Amino acid sequence: MIKHHPKFSLLKSFVDGDLPASLAAGIAIHADMCPICQQKISQLTEQVAEASFEQDILIKTPVSESAHTLEAAQMSFDDIISEITASDDIAPAKVIAKEKLITFKGMQYSLPNALRNMELGRTAQIGKLSRARVNLGEGEIHTNLLHIGPGGSIPEHTHKGFELTLLLAGTFADEQGEYVAGDFIMLDKRHQHQPATEHGCLCYTVANDALHFTQGINKLLNPIGAFIY
Amino acid sequence: MQLLHSELPSHKANATSSDMTNKIDHPQLCQWLKLIADNRDKQAFTEVFSFFAPKIKGIAQGKLNSEALASEVVQDTMTNVWRKAHLFDDNKGAATTWVYTIMRNVTFDLLRKMKANKEDTLSDDIWPLAESEHTEDDVFSDHIQSRNLKGIIDTLPENQQQVVKGFYFLEMSQEQLAVHLNLPLGTIKSRLRLALGKLKLKLGEDHD
Repeated sequence: MIKHHPKFSLLKSFVDGDLPASLAAGIAIHADMCPICQQKISQLTEQVAEASFEQDILIKTPVSESAHTLEAAQMSFDDIISEITASDDIAPAKVIAKEKLITFKGMQYSLPNALRNMELGRTAQIGKLSRARVNLGEGEIHTNLLHIGPGGSIPEHTHKGFELTLLLAGTFADEQGEYVAGDFIMLDKRHQHQPATEHGCLCYTVANDALHFTQGINKLLNPIGAFIY
Repeated sequence: MQLLHSELPSHKANATSSDMTNKIDHPQLCQWLKLIADNRDKQAFTEVFSFFAPKIKGIAQGKLNSEALASEVVQDTMTNVWRKAHLFDDNKGAATTWVYTIMRNVTFDLLRKMKANKEDTLSDDIWPLAESEHTEDDVFSDHIQSRNLKGIIDTLPENQQQVVKGFYFLEMSQEQLAVHLNLPLGTIKSRLRLALGKLKLKLGEDHD
């Protein structure tokens, strides 16, 4: 059962459309797997929509110009209406898109809908870790599909920023316990963790800073930090 | 702190009074959307536009900090409303939720285009619109075809329309139509022939 969910403030920003694509997609994928959050998002969207359109929002304009501006705005609205209605084209009904597959180490996974049109980089590998970058162009926020082969783990680490790990398939465990597909694990710099997987897993990860390895020899594994980030 | 406290009650009072005066008439919005979907009704669209556009503009202006971009959001959102009204399904949620989703998605893609310099449109994958479901047999080109066809039939003289609609849409026989419309069978046949000739001509024009 899914035990880890996005917190309310994140759901709210999601509904408001204020999150970067990487995190918004993470929440969408989680919600597809989690009826509880799906329900919360629907309710929240309905409320936000109602509140947005309930009141007349006055566009602030200097008093002396307001009459003139209003008139201009009205005119341009009329123009927009005739421009829009001049075309009789209607939008096609949504076609259920074909499943998109991705393969790591010979294992095939179905790509979540939210990632369907994102540009994926080539898969790179170090040991049991395979990584495909999701190229979203969000600067310091890096997004990856990370596959950990059976028996693999990520050395204990912390990070300066946030790190979202969304388990897409398989299971893994850390000091906090076992995680299943759909678990939405948001960590910040206070946490240390060392995920390990017995049978292998695929994660969607979003982080805004390289990971820092905290244990002895693993400090020498800095490339892994950069690799995963 | 003091100030904040003293401001709170009056703010609340304002919110309550506007709640009472500005309640949204949801059935009316749904009806307008249906008129747009079924009849491409420009008057209904103007009503929907007048309700949403100024609010969308205000919200977008707050988010994008630019009047020009806010106008772009209004234009894109309302264009989608015009083009997608037939996909709106009031069983899946309120009209306000539907329009809000379109507005939020348009804004998101626009912001992304500016910030990430990406031309991708990811919003519809992240926040799919709640639309009426279509079965696999519901091939879209047929949908457009029948929509166009209906529009063209509506340009026929009333008495020919009756015959064509009865024969093709209600699947009545020519004999049944003759009885139903209290006309000689020959008249039904000739009207149908005339109408089909005109339809062929018009559809041919459209299909060049």
